[in-house]
Amino acid sequence: METATVLPAAIPATEMTETPSRRVFPYHLLERPDDELVDRFLEAFGRVLEFTDYKPLLDSYRRSNTKCNRCAVACPVLQASGDPKDIPCYRTNLLLDIYERYFTLDGWFKSRLTNAFELTEEIIDEMGDIFYRCTACRRCTRVCPLGFDHGLITRLGRYLLSLIGIVPKALQVSVQEQLEGETHNTSKVPRAGLIDVLEFLAEEMEEMLGVELEFPTDKVDRDYVFFCAVSDYLMEPDTLMGNAAVLYASGDWDRWTIGLCNYDGINYGLFYSDWHLENIIKQLVSEVDRLRGRNILIGECGHASRAAHDFVPTFMGRKAPPVLNFMEYTLDCIRKGRITLDPNVITERVTYHDPCNIARSGWIIEQPREIIRSFIGDFVEMTPKGSDNLCCGGGGGLVSIDEMHEFRMEIAGKMKAEQLRQTGAEIVVAPCANCKKQLKELVDYYELPCRVMGLHDLILQAIEIPGGISPMERKEQAALYAI
Amino acid sequence: MEMVELGGKMLEIDEDGFIQDPDLWDEAVAADLAKTEGVDELGELHWKLVNYLRDYYLEFNMAPMIRKLCKATDLKLKEVYDLFPSGPAKGACKVAGLPKPTGCV
Repeated sequence: METATVLPAAIPATEMTETPSRRVFPYHLLERPDDELVDRFLEAFGRVLEFTDYKPLLDSYRRSNTKCNRCAVACPVLQASGDPKDIPCYRTNLLLDIYERYFTLDGWFKSRLTNAFELTEEIIDEMGDIFYRCTACRRCTRVCPLGFDHGLITRLGRYLLSLIGIVPKALQVSVQEQLEGETHNTSKVPRAGLIDVLEFLAEEMEEMLGVELEFPTDKVDRDYVFFCAVSDYLMEPDTLMGNAAVLYASGDWDRWTIGLCNYDGINYGLFYSDWHLENIIKQLVSEVDRLRGRNILIGECGHASRAAHDFVPTFMGRKAPPVLNFMEYTLDCIRKGRITLDPNVITERVTYHDPCNIARSGWIIEQPREIIRSFIGDFVEMTPKGSDNLCCGGGGGLVSIDEMHEFRMEIAGKMKAEQLRQTGAEIVVAPCANCKKQLKELVDYYELPCRVMGLHDLILQAIEIPGGISPMERKEQAALYAI
Repeated sequence: MEMVELGGKMLEIDEDGFIQDPDLWDEAVAADLAKTEGVDELGELHWKLVNYLRDYYLEFNMAPMIRKLCKATDLKLKEVYDLFPSGPAKGACKVAGLPKPTGCV
């Protein structure tokens, strides 16, 4: 295991051996963690408390923790599983107990007098399980009378576990590639591959829209440096072409670029490691600096938008470039009349799924709705929606963990699937790479009569392209492009 | 990592059955990998997909964009799923000897 980007406190794990594991970890780890987990966990916890601001937070939570269980009603995982271990404050309390016993004076004192709580390997196993059953959607935070942020505690718990080598391998290998690999992105898309994809998309757009264009790569001094979830370059051509079509139609084609050294907006650090979160943000900003770009423009991805929007200022201070989600940019173009969307193209019933990271934990709720209402006639809302939305069931990095497919379908996404069915919509708009993947799997799994698309997939169909083929004409030809 | 016999030779695979060394791939390996994906016999269309994936991987060191795959092989996405039930990324790529996709794929 390469450890170049983990905290000094991290201790390398041993090779996985053929001998059966003493404990059964529920999720696939890259390597089996070493022994002495309890000591190492406490050492890592101590270091994190020393070097971060979590201590005052844990102190305050410890004192005000009432275990009232109001969070239970808000948690879609618990509602589907019925397992008391999924109650958000049960999970939070696990970490608070460890904190109190080992890192506070009264906790230590109590342990001398009574038969107090003791950290065991079984508890570490339990944390390895339940911290990855939480999708970090933070719906519970909305109802907690004391304002506990259980999503943050999930992240802290996962952070501590990661420091002793307990991280699902799907997340670990992706982050390793992003920070240390040759391609510097989570899906291992090499530069030559990216260029091939962009050339292909340009050809597609020429065929579809009737305009010749070339994607701007590595251009300096541009207003917008574009980062999407790199998986979009493999999976979501329509979203990307929709993004490009907006930039083309608005006349901003010469004002944006895609960097060739780093083109991945994904930041799994947000899900399990503050340390990686910071390094990935710095890598992102250094690419913008290299290109002397002025704004960071994030494609349709919830956690990438939130990670950049919230943490570029945290880690870069006054040097921080502004961060925009693509939907904000598109809405601005619509309001200023710089692009026109034909209201007659999309006739299906459409609903909108709020990605937790940009809705409840972010700043984007009304913007996409304003865009949708401007060109879609039959728009229905889900209930609940906006800040109270239900997570797709794949949040917090779970969607990347194949081993959790059944959990995501049967438990985490169960309520979401029912919610989708009830809208009666033919098209579910989900402007997030994580949500799209999870919702598509839910649609297949539950055989729901709808399809999942990005918002810019629909914009691509309806946008008027100056000097290009009109949207209605394109619609007639659309059958040719259906895949 | 586990060693299994595929196409008459011993190959290293990960827990999801992806071979670890793409250089050791050949058609016999592909035929055996296909069986692990529930495809007993590779037909003409299977080979068209697998060969395109393989050639693209050798040139660009990555899997092609799904739409490009569909366009180049003249198959609709649904037909790709019919050929490889676990889909282009996890099914067809595995048979073509590509590494397991990472990130949000």
